[in-house]
Amino acid sequence: MEFRLPDPGEGLVEAEIVEWKVSVGDVVAVNDILLEIETAKSLVELPSPFAGVVHEILAPAGQVVPVGTPIIRIGADEPAEAHPAEEGTAPSSADAPADAPVATTKTEDSGAVLVGYGTRAAVSRRARRHEASAPVPAATPAPAPIPAAPVPAPAASAVGAPAPADVPRAKPPVRRVARDLGVDLATVVGTGPDGTITAADVLTAAGRPPQDPGEQRIPLRGVRRAMFQSMTASLAVPQATAFVEVDVTATMQLIDTLRRRRDFTGLKVSPLVIFAKAACLAIERVPEINSRYDAAADEMVIPTDVNLGIAAATPRGLVVPNIKRANQLNLLELTRGLNDMVALAREGRVQPSDLAGGTFSITNVGVFGVDGGTPIMNNGEAAIMCLGTILRKPWVVGEGEQERIEPRSVCTVSLTFDHRLVDGEMGSKFLADVSTIMSDPALALLF
Amino acid sequence: MGVALPEPVAAALATRADDQLVQLLTPSGELVADEHFHYSGTDQDLVEDLRAMLLTRAIDAEGTALQRKGELGLWVQSLGQEAAQIGSARAFTGNDLIVPSYRELGVYLALGLDPVEFLGTFRGTAMVDWPTGPANLHLPSFVIGTQTLHAVGMAMALQRDGRVGNPNPDDNGAVVVYFGDGATSQGDVNESFVFAAAAHAPLVFFCQNNQWAISEPTTVQTPIPLYRRAAGFGFPGVRVDGNDVLAVRAVTEWALERARSGGGPVLIEAFTYRMGAHTTSDDPTKYRSAEEEAEWKAKDPVDRLRTYLLAKGLIDDAWLGQVAAEGAAQAERLRTGCVQLTEPQLADSFELVYTDTPAHLLRQRDEFQAYEASFEVNA
Amino acid sequence: MSTLTMAKALNAGLRRALANDPKVLLAGEDIGRLGGVFRITEGLQAEFGTDRVVDTPLAESGIVGTAVGLALGGYKPVVEIQFDGFVYPAFDQIVSQVSRMHFRSHGRLSVPMVVRIPYGGGIGAIEHHSESPEAYFAHTPGLKVVTCARPSDAYWMIQQAIADPDPVIFFEPKRRYHDKGEVDLDASAAPDPLYQARIARTGTDATLLTYGPMVRTCLDAAAAAEAEGRSLEVIDLRSLSPIDDATVFASVRRTGRAIVVHEAARTLGMGAELAARIQSECFYELQAPVLRVTGYDLPYPPSRTEHSYLPDLDRVLDAVDTSLAH
Repeated sequence: MEFRLPDPGEGLVEAEIVEWKVSVGDVVAVNDILLEIETAKSLVELPSPFAGVVHEILAPAGQVVPVGTPIIRIGADEPAEAHPAEEGTAPSSADAPADAPVATTKTEDSGAVLVGYGTRAAVSRRARRHEASAPVPAATPAPAPIPAAPVPAPAASAVGAPAPADVPRAKPPVRRVARDLGVDLATVVGTGPDGTITAADVLTAAGRPPQDPGEQRIPLRGVRRAMFQSMTASLAVPQATAFVEVDVTATMQLIDTLRRRRDFTGLKVSPLVIFAKAACLAIERVPEINSRYDAAADEMVIPTDVNLGIAAATPRGLVVPNIKRANQLNLLELTRGLNDMVALAREGRVQPSDLAGGTFSITNVGVFGVDGGTPIMNNGEAAIMCLGTILRKPWVVGEGEQERIEPRSVCTVSLTFDHRLVDGEMGSKFLADVSTIMSDPALALLF
Repeated sequence: MGVALPEPVAAALATRADDQLVQLLTPSGELVADEHFHYSGTDQDLVEDLRAMLLTRAIDAEGTALQRKGELGLWVQSLGQEAAQIGSARAFTGNDLIVPSYRELGVYLALGLDPVEFLGTFRGTAMVDWPTGPANLHLPSFVIGTQTLHAVGMAMALQRDGRVGNPNPDDNGAVVVYFGDGATSQGDVNESFVFAAAAHAPLVFFCQNNQWAISEPTTVQTPIPLYRRAAGFGFPGVRVDGNDVLAVRAVTEWALERARSGGGPVLIEAFTYRMGAHTTSDDPTKYRSAEEEAEWKAKDPVDRLRTYLLAKGLIDDAWLGQVAAEGAAQAERLRTGCVQLTEPQLADSFELVYTDTPAHLLRQRDEFQAYEASFEVNA
Repeated sequence: MSTLTMAKALNAGLRRALANDPKVLLAGEDIGRLGGVFRITEGLQAEFGTDRVVDTPLAESGIVGTAVGLALGGYKPVVEIQFDGFVYPAFDQIVSQVSRMHFRSHGRLSVPMVVRIPYGGGIGAIEHHSESPEAYFAHTPGLKVVTCARPSDAYWMIQQAIADPDPVIFFEPKRRYHDKGEVDLDASAAPDPLYQARIARTGTDATLLTYGPMVRTCLDAAAAAEAEGRSLEVIDLRSLSPIDDATVFASVRRTGRAIVVHEAARTLGMGAELAARIQSECFYELQAPVLRVTGYDLPYPPSRTEHSYLPDLDRVLDAVDTSLAH
């Protein structure tokens, strides 16, 4: 029989063996002192639970032993005849009257927690009972048995009257979906446990497929919806795109100059400003670029002023606010107008009035590092100009014997135009004029 | 309530000196007389007292051993206080109600309680229960001092039952409540003095002053002897040598008879010593001296009575041998009974909270049982 | 049928209990000769004597502790704690002793006593006289906790509590002591079971769950809401431990919206328990989160500000608005 170190003081976890009072071979009676231990609290003498002969001392003096560790083995007879059958057998007391019932200690194998050992901290989950599996349809291979732990049913509790039949049962996120989709829960058939309505049920009632976990679904609302509709309408218009590659080195120098000017302090000066100015000037020579089609009157309308739209990315998507009467603004005013418009767009504070009434738009894909593109016109306008990245490229400069290759700042500019109102000559002429001004801004004086 | 009785003893007690403990048997085993109290028992009673004290000691020792062997989480030792406990118990009648604290093993045994019955509390298999214990023995209390108020209430119930001050003593009863020196600092104990005095309750407050409240000596609790507190509340107090089983019995008999007759409450301070630790979780070597323990060993309650009885030829070594064997048998019975205590099931607790168990508790129990049933047995 | 104030109804109920069972005793400070500071026990000592209606020393722990002893001795003590704020010295006796005696004795001992406590604010009192400590006791296993909201319930519930073999903490809303109501004093009348909630007003749009002093407030709010075209159901819980789950859940399942109203501070008050139970059991029927209209997490404030502290009609209806907006 093994004696395990008990917890001598309500929750102590270990003790040091100070001194053994017995040796192997000693005969001990119940309650004879076996050893002295030292705990965090005190020195304690431990008495023997068993009568018998000491077979083995399992922990030497000086060792610190956790509570529950076997420290000594005592047998009914001499050590040489110790055998496993002694484990769990009853201790007998030399003093006991002959008819005293024999006690069974619960220390060894029963797994019962002895007083003083407290509760053991679990490090893994207890083994769950396996429920008998329900009959499986022949066509389906039987799955590996899953321990069916009784999970508290998500259904109506047994307490109180159940909800009246006309009260639809759905958890809050499902109610939210129903409300967003305008679905009346009372009309939805619930397929969840106990007839509760699931999100899939609501989507089905709304005529929408349930979500595939491998994809994300984004409803088209607000700005996204506007872009969708606008682009769809635009592509119904016959259109063509023309390209020009422009050496904008001189424009870049002009920008440097402008940035150093006192009246441009605090303003962001970018090539877009010069392009915007160039476009306004070029439109004076080819006003058809600035036109629109009035379907009701079946007429082409050419406004006097340019409401210059700048395609802008906002937190909510692509919008094209326009600067009213951009043609009447000088370069400084135009720069300010652009700065303001960009700031509004970034903050998501573009107003409907900013979006209405545009006559011509510019889109700058260069800021994204893209060489150029075939822009799609802003709905209702006759043309849109697209600016690509300004790259350093090898360029042929000079003439005759001076002809050489130099690195220059080059930009690809494209123009998509409504071919019902603008023909190829007009579009090309416009682009060429813009190119002229961008490659040599001083030539703007010609316009 | 009470009738004004001639109170020569009570009056005299008020003028005794603090060191004039009531004593009838000296530490060296000699009989002495006391001015107001005398032992009303016989020689055979004394032999029986010694036997009871020796058996109490043997059972107490086994309780300690069971804790050291890991069978009990805790044991509260009564070593050294056998005379205070048994002597007072000798004064009870069947009509009296006894309200213990948690260190009254000798009282329980004197009342015929089977000690195995309350092992469960210390083993953790039960709350506080002795299913077949004496009907007039209330449950022990581990909260300090709260039981004194309950005892006052019980005494007030006896008054209303008409069990106080009847001409026939067999119709009368009183309450005895036990507590320690430390408990006298608790508000509830002081409130119980107030209520007992106001109601003139038939109640004996029995304070086992064993000099220590865990590690705090009585001097931490009070600058004056505890028995003198009673005077402040308006009833008599008396200090008795708690290690003298004759004197304890004499004083308790007087106090109980007085209470049963309608004389109101009395505070008895049994001046004794806690020879062991506060409980098996305690180590007294950390706060008191071996010298002090040796001093009190010389005043041991069992030794003095054994010395007296041997000297008078009322017992002999053979008798002592028999009692020792009886003690060993009791110890074996305790060991056996301990490991045979039924393991409790939590599911049984749910219907023990109320007399009428509310539906939500029954549902909780069902929940718990379903949860437990979901696991492999012996997992 | 008689029209009585709640104070008179309690007095009549106590009188009847004393008359019907000689083991019933009353004890408390000033309850005898004075008849109690709220006159709840007026005339009872004259009628039943000083042994049965006891003026106690000024010591709450002692009042409750001696009552335990009397109960163990076969009596049925009904003790009064003079004001809610004074129950704390008796807290240990109530929680460590009264609530556990049955459990710790494995069902052998029971403590059939009642602790009566006037509670709640709204009477312009000084500090410690307007507390709502019911949650501490509802949280304690072994106690039963009830509270009356109208004279009829006061009359019957006090008698039922006294007859109950378990210990009952009986909270009396002191600001309603002088409210009048109809009381059927007929001995053969069959009152509602003690631990059952009462639907004080039926409705369809939302359920107000409340008790004690706030029942009248909620009924006033429901009447005002009706004028706004809203139908509110008001449930008087009556029993805080145990809670009548069946009535509560049935109502919330019907209306889909629950609002708990109590004077006690918000955190860990009865509202927290009700919200937890309702969201657990009525999850699929809820149209809106369970809301609570309560006192703030402050010690009870100076009486000149108590009108801002206590839930009132406006705060209740604002919560209804919030609930219905979901």
